[in-house]
Amino acid sequence: MNEMLRADAVNDDAGRVKLAVRNLNFYYGSGKPSLKNINLSLLNHKVTAFIGPSGCGKSTLLRVLNRMYELYPNQRAEGEVLLDGQNILGPGQDLNLLRARVGMVFQKPTPFPMTIYENIAFGIRLYEKLPKSEMDGRVEKALRGAALWDEVKDKLDASGLSLSGGQQQRLCIARTVAIKPEVILFDEPCSALDPISTAKVEELIDEMSDSYTIAIVTHNMQQAARVSDKTAFMYLGELVEMDDTDKMFTSPAQQRTQDYITGRFG
Amino acid sequence: MNPLYARRRRTSAIAMTLCVGATIFGLIWLTMILFTLFWNGFAGLSVSLFTEMTPPPNAQGGGLLNAIVGSLILTFLGIAVGAPIGILAGTYMAEYGRYSKITSVIRFINDILLSAPSIIIGLFVYGAVVVPMGGFSGLAGALALAVIALPVVVRTTEDMLLLVPTQLREAAVALGMPQSYMIRKITWRAARVGLVTGLLLAVARVSGETAPLLFTALSNQFWSVDLLKTMANLPVTINNFINNPDPNWKRLAWAGALLITLAVLSLNIIARSLSGGRNSK
Repeated sequence: MNEMLRADAVNDDAGRVKLAVRNLNFYYGSGKPSLKNINLSLLNHKVTAFIGPSGCGKSTLLRVLNRMYELYPNQRAEGEVLLDGQNILGPGQDLNLLRARVGMVFQKPTPFPMTIYENIAFGIRLYEKLPKSEMDGRVEKALRGAALWDEVKDKLDASGLSLSGGQQQRLCIARTVAIKPEVILFDEPCSALDPISTAKVEELIDEMSDSYTIAIVTHNMQQAARVSDKTAFMYLGELVEMDDTDKMFTSPAQQRTQDYITGRFG
Repeated sequence: MNPLYARRRRTSAIAMTLCVGATIFGLIWLTMILFTLFWNGFAGLSVSLFTEMTPPPNAQGGGLLNAIVGSLILTFLGIAVGAPIGILAGTYMAEYGRYSKITSVIRFINDILLSAPSIIIGLFVYGAVVVPMGGFSGLAGALALAVIALPVVVRTTEDMLLLVPTQLREAAVALGMPQSYMIRKITWRAARVGLVTGLLLAVARVSGETAPLLFTALSNQFWSVDLLKTMANLPVTINNFINNPDPNWKRLAWAGALLITLAVLSLNIIARSLSGGRNSK
């Protein structure tokens, strides 16, 4: 039963798969793997939520998808992660180009120590040389895309650090979308935000799924239910179950999923 | 009162008294030093201090112009040589080699260099530069100061960069930023106040050094900005003048000591206020 479900999660909607994880094991050093034989697919322009108790490997999985783990020694991944069919874990993969295609928004807002305008323009300049007028347009578009434009349009020269936490997080989202990624990974993007900011970011994620393939790690079950199309439940480094979000929250196939969602453990 | 608690209170009171006593004991000496310095130094202050050259023995008047300029040149060159190397080394340790074994080896050696007596560094430069070049020179003095500034800059650069949150680096890398670009544009910028503070502290450290200059730049009674000749500088001039019975020389030595102290003091205050501003943000 379990195996069948996993196979389902992989093969379902094969034509629309943006990113596929195949037989992935991940190690934080020698010893036991922190991710065990993960198989799943992120569908094109869909939001996939990852839920599970702390330490289950949700964030670790996310950090494999843009190879963020490469920053640290002794961390390694085995298996395949196919982005449009190309294995990004292969030795030939250019990490900077990968991260341009697979963007990431972190738990804590991390504006760069520069102006709001520069926070956005900075990333764009990595890839494109634009005249000032065109750059202004791109910065505005990115800020509008992150529902932040109206709040900051009169103070683009202010420091990014002067914004509130929620605004900072949307600035980080704007910075990420500005370089036109295909996939965006959200690692608990609202856990440091108040409810109103959270609502804004959730709304934003919903709108963004028209243009991006999104993966979001969250500890907030309601959030997963609100923003995602598919939900994956992970436990102790394994993918327990992955299905349509509606189905996961109403009639999950696995008892463990049921127990977690109803708050019996976790 | 609970006897156990009463005993703790007594112990605490004794410890507190000892601590305060030790603090006062230390502060008394510091106050006396500063008082003597200001008392004697202010008496020697005059405009001619900044306009006239060091006088010959048993003459009247004169100033410290050549020594002041010499000290500025030596300090500037020493920092100009030592700081870039120190910043690059510190950057390597905090960014590229953070997890490598060589970094802990470098840090260990750097700490030794940091606490090495400066006279040893003077002797080293004497052997490495003065002897091969056939004579004392301002250049050798600047190099000795560079060697003294180097470990200070390495240490502060590494410490300040390690304070930059890892999330900021991850955020930069997540945009597909190459590491060298990320370091220049993000981490150096985030740590710039700390880096400047480190430089100021290095300047403060080298500007009072006497021992390494005795073996390298020596001193010069006359005006000279030729780096290949001996060069006048405040610390060695003070050292020479204070040990002489000539009251005019003694007066100048005290004034020079006051100048150095004030310069170091203001550098430290600037460094403090810069880093204080960062912490409160």
